[in-house]
Amino acid sequence: MTTKPSRPDERRTVITGMGVIAPTGIGADAYWKATKEGVSALGPVTREGCGDLPLAVAGEVHGFDPAALVEERFLVQTDRFSHFAMAAADMALRDAALDAAGAGEFAVGVVTAAGSGGGEFGQRELQQLWGRGPKFVGPYQSIAWFYAASTGQISIRGGFKGPCGVVAGDEAGGLDAFAHAARSIRGGTDAMVVGATEAPLAPYSIVCQLGYPELSTVREPQQAYLPFTDRACGFVPAEGGAMFVAEEETAARERGVTARAVIAGHAATFTGSADWAASREGLAHAIRGALDEAGLAPEEVDVVFADALGVPAADRAEALALADVLGPHAARVPVTAPKTGTGRAYCGASALDIACAVLAMEHGVVPPTPNVTDVSGGLDLVTGHARQADLRTALVLSRGLLGSNSALVLRHGADARP
Amino acid sequence: MHTELSYAELASLMERRAGVIVDPADLELQSDTPFADFGLDSLGLLGIVGALENEHGATIPADADACRTPRELLDVVNDVLKARA
Repeated sequence: MTTKPSRPDERRTVITGMGVIAPTGIGADAYWKATKEGVSALGPVTREGCGDLPLAVAGEVHGFDPAALVEERFLVQTDRFSHFAMAAADMALRDAALDAAGAGEFAVGVVTAAGSGGGEFGQRELQQLWGRGPKFVGPYQSIAWFYAASTGQISIRGGFKGPCGVVAGDEAGGLDAFAHAARSIRGGTDAMVVGATEAPLAPYSIVCQLGYPELSTVREPQQAYLPFTDRACGFVPAEGGAMFVAEEETAARERGVTARAVIAGHAATFTGSADWAASREGLAHAIRGALDEAGLAPEEVDVVFADALGVPAADRAEALALADVLGPHAARVPVTAPKTGTGRAYCGASALDIACAVLAMEHGVVPPTPNVTDVSGGLDLVTGHARQADLRTALVLSRGLLGSNSALVLRHGADARP
Repeated sequence: MHTELSYAELASLMERRAGVIVDPADLELQSDTPFADFGLDSLGLLGIVGALENEHGATIPADADACRTPRELLDVVNDVLKARA
């Protein structure tokens, strides 16, 4: 297999650091260990005030102690989704051995994706509003629950003054944030802190999600999220996500850090809400665009991280989109959906899939799709046990509930230019 | 009833409302040091003024959240509280 960067003189983006906060594990090592074993962390919703809601099963992050990971003022001034983001960004920055002091404060930017904002913080303040009146709402509400909060706080906390942004792009935003980061790097920024985390399990956030017909309200954790099967009954929501350091390839090499993966291609389309059949064409177009940007042929895809919504029409559309673009290779390439063990943390779900894809390529292992057996629909979905494979190219897919379709192509870190 | 705002109460409010931890004795000793140097931003000060109004049932002049230092804030707030006593 040959490396065919479409524009060899262009500034390419590589991943040099990762931080993971998932229901299945905190830290990339713990997450990977659970993921390759096919561990499922789906369980009852245990958050205060959620007991009587129709949503019974979610992927909660347990054992996350924000007080041990972020400073007191961020605990008081920001939401759980930003605590996740700051803690995951710290892990990623440590992994990449990067900080603003070493890199130059304008050389590093931040971009996150968010779909839920600061629900837990918002819940507390809105209870004050309705329970006691507007004077009892704290001013930090104005910044804590807003989508851009994590980007801003990571930037302030780390002293990163490069380009900053937030992608409010529905679930696919976790992939789109990488496209945004790669664009900033092409434009001259050396490094971007990029990714997505979400914490949408406060009562108010859950009530907002109850309107999604795709939400699974099945009460047995092992039955609640079964994409690509005849028992598919919707998706299970979750919290968590992943943050990364994305870096210009040459800058990373000059710092002496290893490229863990190469961001090779991305494309996004929009096909509108509540029309999963239409997502076939939209997703196919995104896959084609991402492969074109990567300069790769369809048969060079070694593993697919599926969106795997768990809604029959959506699963069918995804399988057809893969067949449309990959042709006969679609039936042979291993497809996996580790998110059936974590649930879908909205933008955080696609960010977690990127982390999983990087780890899978590094270890030469396709992790299984927890809880799923008896696959229907013509894909080679990896179930039961992990599968050994030489993985050079991973395709990560994500769709938003409101119509976004995105595809991201990652290459093995060894594909970075020497 | 003791209604005057003390440096100890201000330090406690800074911690509870903004997560800024400062020793009350240091706050008093450095009472002319800008809030920003203690790590308290304008939203934090706004929240502290709001909390004082709620806790004391008093209306504090709108410019209180423009106070730059602990001493300035104590002066403004205690003028209000003393006038009510």
